[in-house]
This record gives sequence, structure tokens and C-alpha cells, in this order.
Amino acid sequence: MGSWGFVLLAYGIVWLALVLYFLSLKNRMRKAGTKLSQLRSAGSPGKHEK
Amino acid sequence: MAFLKQTAWLLWKDLLLELRRRESLLAMFFFGTLLLFIFHFALDVQPDKAADMAPGLLWLALVFCGTLGLMQLFQAERENRCLEALLLSPIDRAAIFLSKVLFNLTLMVLLEIVVFPLFWVLFNLTLWERLPWVFLYGLLGTVGFCVLGTLFSALTLSARGREILLPLLLLPLMIPVILATIRGMEIILRAGDFQESLPWLHLLIGFDVIFLTAGILVFEWVVES
Amino acid sequence: MAKAEKKRGSGEILGVLALLFILVGLYVALIQAPPDAYQGEVQRIMYIHIPSIVAAYLCFFIVFLGSCLYLWKRETRDDILAKSAAEVGVLFTALTIIEGSIWGKPTWGVWWTWDARLTLTALLLMIFVGYIMLRSLIEDEERGAVCGAVVGIIGFLDIPLIHMSVYWWRTLHQPPSIFRPDKLPWENIKWPLLWPLIINIVAFVFLSLYLLSLRIRVGETEERIKGEMLGGTA
Repeated sequence: MGSWGFVLLAYGIVWLALVLYFLSLKNRMRKAGTKLSQLRSAGSPGKHEK
Repeated sequence: MAFLKQTAWLLWKDLLLELRRRESLLAMFFFGTLLLFIFHFALDVQPDKAADMAPGLLWLALVFCGTLGLMQLFQAERENRCLEALLLSPIDRAAIFLSKVLFNLTLMVLLEIVVFPLFWVLFNLTLWERLPWVFLYGLLGTVGFCVLGTLFSALTLSARGREILLPLLLLPLMIPVILATIRGMEIILRAGDFQESLPWLHLLIGFDVIFLTAGILVFEWVVES
Repeated sequence: MAKAEKKRGSGEILGVLALLFILVGLYVALIQAPPDAYQGEVQRIMYIHIPSIVAAYLCFFIVFLGSCLYLWKRETRDDILAKSAAEVGVLFTALTIIEGSIWGKPTWGVWWTWDARLTLTALLLMIFVGYIMLRSLIEDEERGAVCGAVVGIIGFLDIPLIHMSVYWWRTLHQPPSIFRPDKLPWENIKWPLLWPLIINIVAFVFLSLYLLSLRIRVGETEERIKGEMLGGTA
């Protein structure tokens, strides 16, 4: 492996990991958001009844 | 004055309990001896190399035994919710912490008094006159270990999988103590020169002072919630 | 609600800034900067290696700050800050080790060597992985937050001591070789090599803050879900 190979390997791993982490955060955000809105729509009528 | 008195009372309570149950000390002592045998089988330590390997093996055995002791440290308080009772009593939180550190330290020092000479005998070391200096390093290292160990033992009380979590959290933070103790002992055993090992001694003292202070300051938060 | 929107807006600005600097940084690091006289092209790894460790230390400093603030004021917000920063910090620390290892292979001939900085970084990773494990193993929210804060503070205080001991261990016991483990001293770095480094450091700082802001938003939403669930059952 030439020296450019090592450079590309390092940059590849780093940016892949960072992008994956970014996507996983977006995913968690979306999942949490839908769950929250579900809870709110399910929970708010109950609250009004009280 | 009241603070010291409280610490002494709590320490006396723990020592009395240990004297009656003899759980921790005996287990630690046999585990330590066992480790020395295992190390010998694993590494086949030759007499001429024993002095070089002594610090690492000794200190590793002590750290493992100490971790074993740390698991038991708050056992008595955990059973029957004694910790809550202790916290309700008008005792300074720092006194509870200090008494536990001192209790742990007493156990470890008793262990060292037996294990250090035993190591010298088992591995045919001849440098008996250097044993006191090695012991000094062992003592300072043990203080650091007990201070941080007691804090983390209390910290992980309510965690799941506490037995594995405690060493996992503690050992990386103990690296300065482990390195300083082993390297300091090594310099003394190899060269017999106390001056040369002084930087490590200072590092150990620094570690002990910093974390004893930090421990006393934060222990209150660790137990109250 | 308006406050949340404002927060989100500042997060987006961070994201845009990060993206801008990353693109410029990639260009200058891979294309514009000249190869190093001694190390050749491999030196280009330094343009992400040093920024990663800067970002990691920044995150761990934020963990320390968040921990102190939480113990002082007991606000969940500070705990979420510390917890999120630990996660982002672990990511950047792990990346730093991987880059160091890849840089080490052509430079030192081995993937791993027990040099002071590499070892120190690995220990840092272990401490903060321990922090995250502790957080996940304590079920009681408040107790977990307090214990986490204590570990965050103790861990941060320990870093200089670990640094000192590991550094002495490597220097007192073997003479420094030609491939000195420490990077070139600042005065030895020439300007054409230095300014791409600065741009990349800025890029990674923005990136880590942006990721942190995203992670905090995840944490806040999860907190709100817990609130809703408690409100729903009560």
C-alpha cells in the first residue's frame, strides 16, 4: 500500500464513521419525534377529560 | 475534633465487624497468595529475573485483591438498608468516607505485611534491605487505590453488573498509581537509588492528596441520592 | 416553543459552518497542501488526526463543565449536555486512535506502539467508555446523573496525572528515538503546513459542536417522552 493508500484509508474510515454517526443521530431524532407526537396525540384527550 | 471522633467510631465499627466475620481479609489474603502461585506458573519466573518482575507481579496481585475487597466494602451497609440509617444519623458524610477509606487501607496494609515478605521468600529475592522502601511505595500506592476505590465502590452501589463495572471504571483511572508504584519499586530494586525514584514518589503523593480532597468533597453527593 | 426553534436555528448554523469548513479543509489538506519533506503524503493524516483529538478534548471539557453545573444546579439540561458530550467525545477519541494507528504503520512500521500519546488517548477512551457504561447500568435517572457527574469530574482531574505518568514512563525508560512520539513542535511547523491544519481544526470543532447539538436534541426529546409517559400514567 502506497502512502496515498494510507491517507485515503484514514480519511475514508473517519468520514464514514462521522457520516454514520450523523445518520444514526438523525434516525434517533426522527424515531423519538414520532414517538413524542404519538404520545401527545394519545395523551392529550385523556388530559382534557380530567 | 467531633469529625475525627466520628471517623474513629465508624472505623472501629467496621473493624469489629471484620474481626467477627473475617470475610474480606481472609479471602483477600488467600486470593493474593493464589495469584503469586499462578503468576509463577504462568511466567516461570527465574531467580535472576525475579527482582525485575517483582514490582509488576506484586502490585498486580495487590490491585486484584484490592478490587476483590472493594466489592465487599459497602456490603454491610447495603444489607438491611444500613446505609440509609447511617445517613440519617447526625454523622458528617466525609467521616463516613474517611472511615471507609481507612478501613480499606487497614485491610490492604495487613495484606501487604504478609504478602510482601511472602513474595521475597517464594521468589528467592535476596534484597531484604530494600524491602522497606518497596513497602513505602506500596503504602502510598495503596492510599491512592483505597481513596479512589472507596469512592467508586460507593458510586456503583446501585448499578447493575456492579462487579464488572467497578474494575472497568476504576482501573483506567488508577493508571498513574499503577505506573508510579511499579516504576518506583523497580528503580529501587534495580539500582537501590532512592533519589532517582523521587519523581514517581511525588506523583504518588500528588495523586493521593488530590483525590482524597476530591473524594471528601464529592462523597456527599454520591451517597445522598 | 420559540426558544426551541431558536436553538434549532443556531444548531443549523453550526451545521452549515461545519460543512463549509470541512469542504475547504478537505481541499487544502488533500490537494493544496504540499507533502511533508520527511514523511511525504502520509503527513496529510495529521490534518484530521490533530483536529480529532482537539475535538475529543473539547468534548471531554464539556463533560466536565456539564458535570460541575449539574452537581451545582441539578438541572436535567446540564446532565444531557454532559452525557451527549461524552458520546461525541468517545467517537472522536476512537477516530483519533484509528488515525494514529494508520499513520503509525508507514511511519513506525507497526500499527501500534506504546508511545505516550497513543497510550494516553487509549486510556482516555477507556475512561469515557466506562462513563457511558455507568450511565447505562444505573436505572435510577437522578442517581445515574449524579454518579455520572462525579465520574466526569474525577476523570477530567485524572487526565493531567495520567498524562504525566505515561509520558515519564516512556521518556525515563527509553531514550527518545528519531521518530519522536510527540508531533513536531509548533515552531517547527512551516506556514504552508500550518494553516491547513488550523482550518481543519476549526472544521472539526464546528463539526463536533454540531453533532453535540444534534445529540442534545435527541436527549431532550427523550426526556420529553419520559415526561409525557409519566403524565399519561399519573
